[in-house]
Amino acid sequence: MELTRRDFLKVAGAAAVSGKIISAEEAGAFTGRYATIIDLTRCDGCKDEPMPLCVKACREENKRRFPEPVKDIQPYWPHKFYEDWSKKRDVLNTLTPYNWIFVQKVSLDDGQKVFIPRRCMHCDNPPCVSLCPFGALSKEREGNTVISDKLCFGGAKCRDVCPWHIPQRQAGVGLYLKIMPKYAGGGVMYKCDLCNERIREGKQPACVEACTQRLKEKTALIFGERQTIMSLAAGRVRSEKLHLYGDTQNGGTSTFYLSQVPFGIIEERLRSGKEKFLMAENIVSPLEKAHDLAKYFIFGTVAPVIAAIVAFMYKGKEREKSSKNATHEDQET
Amino acid sequence: MKIKRHSIIELAEHWTVAVSGIMLLFTGIGELPLYKRYYFILNIPGLGWAGDYFKHLTLHYIFAIFFLAAVIFHVLYHGLRKDKGLIPRKGDMGRSVKVLLAMIGIGKEPPSEKYLPEQRIAYLGMGIIIAVLTLTGVVKIIKNLPFVYMPPLLNGINTLIHTLAAFLFLVAIIVHVGIVIAFKSNWPLLKSMFTGKIDSDYVRERHGIWYEELKREGKADD
Repeated sequence: MELTRRDFLKVAGAAAVSGKIISAEEAGAFTGRYATIIDLTRCDGCKDEPMPLCVKACREENKRRFPEPVKDIQPYWPHKFYEDWSKKRDVLNTLTPYNWIFVQKVSLDDGQKVFIPRRCMHCDNPPCVSLCPFGALSKEREGNTVISDKLCFGGAKCRDVCPWHIPQRQAGVGLYLKIMPKYAGGGVMYKCDLCNERIREGKQPACVEACTQRLKEKTALIFGERQTIMSLAAGRVRSEKLHLYGDTQNGGTSTFYLSQVPFGIIEERLRSGKEKFLMAENIVSPLEKAHDLAKYFIFGTVAPVIAAIVAFMYKGKEREKSSKNATHEDQET
Repeated sequence: MKIKRHSIIELAEHWTVAVSGIMLLFTGIGELPLYKRYYFILNIPGLGWAGDYFKHLTLHYIFAIFFLAAVIFHVLYHGLRKDKGLIPRKGDMGRSVKVLLAMIGIGKEPPSEKYLPEQRIAYLGMGIIIAVLTLTGVVKIIKNLPFVYMPPLLNGINTLIHTLAAFLFLVAIIVHVGIVIAFKSNWPLLKSMFTGKIDSDYVRERHGIWYEELKREGKADD
């Protein structure tokens, strides 16, 4: 029996509840080479550090890529605002063009605290990549999603279509300045690219390396080959009755959160705290409808071929008939 | 007397491409983050939904199915019939200039075939743009399928070409419609795109070469 995307999401949703991972591979989706576990049972937000080490390492690794905007940034006409984080580079408690990972804190009723490192989920079928009109986003074979700061026009569509609204915009930088800075575009979008250059060289992302250095074998961030990571996550889910997030959301991602606390409770707390970055459990890929429609293109290709041949033959016969009649009339006259 | 200029099939082809093409432009522009930025567009009655990228995407797919079908039908049907009326001929550039100058009252328009030389040049230009849009559009649909992986460079180039070709398509449509509407001499041609028929006097006057052909075939009076 053919497993459709929708069937997969239903089954995967149920499986997630029962603790069994159904991979995106089983649904026939493209998946990258690597994946990450973010283990909330281990993350303590680096409580004894001035800054979470994953955040610190990320900022250090990527500082050469941080935007340096022009001085006179223009508002996004006809609006009166523009998005400028360049004077708030030290902000650590949210995602910004200068902070591509942050640690969210959730307090539960029993006083327990959950620390959630948040960054791009690196979806298996990312809407940001599919829908960027400038082709500025790409899904790499490694499984990570990358924004090209050379091509990005800063329309922030990737943020709108991302179920978690991850990419963040900096105005006054990028391609749009060379075209119509007042009327179109708005800067460049920034987000985690899973340390694209590092992972291509066979290294770990900077955040993972920093976490591992601190927590050793109890590291909260584990990066590796997708199959290995999935098996590891599945084992932990089974043996420790943990909850899993990221396997089915948005059609599957390459980031697997593990938690003792159900993600429904985490989401409810994030919502009640009016947090900007949420963790809704039931995220259906917004591209699903388009995927469903894609099969009708076969009809749109085959039907006109048949119609053209039929019309050609019919018109040919009609012509033949009328020329025969004309000959017949000539003979009669 | 009326002369048949277009068959029902040709009218259906033209209007399928025109309507789906315009809707593809509208929904395609909706995929650029423009309607939200120029928020007054969302205040136009009936366009409150226009800030939703996924609604645009769904509609873009639906109209693309019709557009693709019309393009395939057009190429195959007229290819089988060996229709060459709209294929540019030698000297069309020079004759197009004369036709366009005549439209603004400079010089005398040379007699034309069924189609004006500038229409044949426009057909080639529009054809190239539509071919590029169709091919890159099909690649985008394939690329969007969840089980397909497209190398980033190919994806980036294809997406950029599709977006840039769409701007050319927009310009081409504006020029095409603009020339038809702006010059009274073209109005009978516009009418014929709805009725399929055209006055024989108009044909005699403007499409002298075609008129002679029709006379030889007994489809027009002396």
